[in-house]
Amino acid sequence: MITLTGLTKRYGGTTAVADLSLTIEPGLVTGFLGPNGAGKSTTMRMILGLDEPTAGTALVSGRRYARFRHPLREAGALLDARAVHPGRGGRNHLLAMARSNGIPRRRVEEVLGMVGLSDVAGKRAGTYSLGMGQRLGIAGALLGDPPVLMFDEPVNGLDPDGVRWVRELMRSLAAEGRTVFVSSHLMSEMERTADRLVVIGKGRLIADAPVTEILAGSSRRRIRVRGPHPESLRELAAHLAGRGVTADEVSPGELLLSGTTVESAGEAAHRLGVLLHELSPLEATLEQAYMELTAGSTEFTASTGEAR
Amino acid sequence: MTAMTETRTATGGRLPGAVAAEWTKAWTVRSTYWNLFGAAVLMGLACLQLAIYTLNANGNDDPSDDKGVVAVGTIAIGAVDLVQFVLIGLAMLLITGEYSTGAIRATLQWIPRRGEMLAAKTAVAGVIGGAAGTVLAAAGSLAALPLLGRWGGFEFGPWLGDVLAVGAYLALISVFTVSAGALLRSAVGTLIVIFLVVLVVPASLQASGITAFQRVADFMPAVAGAAFMRGESDTYPPVLGLLILAAWAAAALLAGHAALRRRDA
Ligand SMILES: Nc1ncnc2c1ncn2[C@@H]1O[C@H](COP(=O)(O)OP(=O)(O)OP(=O)(O)O)[C@@H](O)[C@H]1O
Ligand SMILES: [Mg+2]
Repeated sequence: MITLTGLTKRYGGTTAVADLSLTIEPGLVTGFLGPNGAGKSTTMRMILGLDEPTAGTALVSGRRYARFRHPLREAGALLDARAVHPGRGGRNHLLAMARSNGIPRRRVEEVLGMVGLSDVAGKRAGTYSLGMGQRLGIAGALLGDPPVLMFDEPVNGLDPDGVRWVRELMRSLAAEGRTVFVSSHLMSEMERTADRLVVIGKGRLIADAPVTEILAGSSRRRIRVRGPHPESLRELAAHLAGRGVTADEVSPGELLLSGTTVESAGEAAHRLGVLLHELSPLEATLEQAYMELTAGSTEFTASTGEAR
Repeated sequence: MTAMTETRTATGGRLPGAVAAEWTKAWTVRSTYWNLFGAAVLMGLACLQLAIYTLNANGNDDPSDDKGVVAVGTIAIGAVDLVQFVLIGLAMLLITGEYSTGAIRATLQWIPRRGEMLAAKTAVAGVIGGAAGTVLAAAGSLAALPLLGRWGGFEFGPWLGDVLAVGAYLALISVFTVSAGALLRSAVGTLIVIFLVVLVVPASLQASGITAFQRVADFMPAVAGAAFMRGESDTYPPVLGLLILAAWAAAALLAGHAALRRRDA
């Protein structure tokens, strides 16, 4: 379990994390989402005691990370896969890591096997590809077999097989009762991996809820209506618009409705005598829900205007 | 979670674990071996050169620069002026190499207590610098012995004292270097500061011709270290030279520790 209480971090004038209070529960994969610069990495660094909070506390299983006798056996983390000395081999990197926390040597071979790096563990880490470096970082997180795990963008640079492997790894770690806290920008991946989501923007908490709840809360939940007579569909659209429903004619004979339900749209069509061929709810995607939640808190928005 | 229960029974960690990790790290990068190799080559060359100087001075017609019979240990002590910079480089890379690659954040994740991390790094640097210094001084001086012929003096006790003094000096200079690295983080900055403190400032003070400045120079780390190793100083007994050097190392250690605690990784 990870417990954040009023966690705040300021770097000079910029507030990276502002008064964040939440609990990340064991047995679940908790996704950590937010635009670039939202403060995800900063939060994770504070949990590990790398950065000192300006205010508030971050506790791992009820204690500050730095207080543990064997911190790697309490929380494992992949923060920055490049934070490895490029001149040291992967195996030696893990060996030094194991010695620092009294972890037996055989565990190094175990985690190397788990991430599929056994064959290249003797090579210098500087020669590793992006994905291999990421795997070494994951091996390090698993090394102490800790009950709490954090991953900052773990699938960054992994091939499709690797992405799937990480997803299954996260799921199985959570199934073993561990706390799994993972940040990512890949919404479709998060939708499949996470049980719960924490969304922050500009350092502030925006949402902390189960994935299903966040999807259900999306106002962009839309309904597709199709029929053979575009004219009568337009009548239906006008009728619904009068009741506060947004109705877009995406093509002649097809409407997209939002702000209503399948039931009331169907009833309205029946009353007006409009012939329909399709009346179906479109599942909201996490990407849509996320975009709505974070609209207004993206710091670095690319200009879509014409090129100058 | 079977492995979890297994690993939990293992002991270790804290300072002994930190030292073991730093020791492993020091011997798993090439730079350590290259530095030791370089130090060995330089020690050999410097000892041979100093031996030849001695022979030339004794063999010429000018009796005023006659060095007479020299204890071989002092040849090695003279070579330290040069060799120390290679071992300073070794110690420096143990910490600045981690700041430049970002690996320091990994290290602090394993060993989150700043004091333990710095203590482990300085202990490892001190042991490597001290052991390398002792071994190289012994080898270098013995290599110079046949060359010196009748002008070379060897008595086991004093020789051992000289060789161990070189080791102690290089151990403390290594501790000083790692601490300066923790304070400054960058290799360039650390090297500049070390060059200033070890070489440039004392040399300028001594060359100033002003007595007060020369007395100040006597309290700089390398000058105090030389007084200790050579067993001679105008200002204080040689053992005080060792204490002055140790005080520099301790002050740097405290400053490095304070900086590590205050700053984010
Ligand atoms: N060491 C630092 N010094 C100054 N500012 C910093 C530092 N670290 C982070 N910041 C600032 O804090 C804010 C949060 O950064 P952080 O890296 O935590 O965001 P993030 O959510 O991880 O973003 P991304 O998705 O791009 O990884 C940013 O505005 C960043 O510029
Ligand atoms: Mg980040």
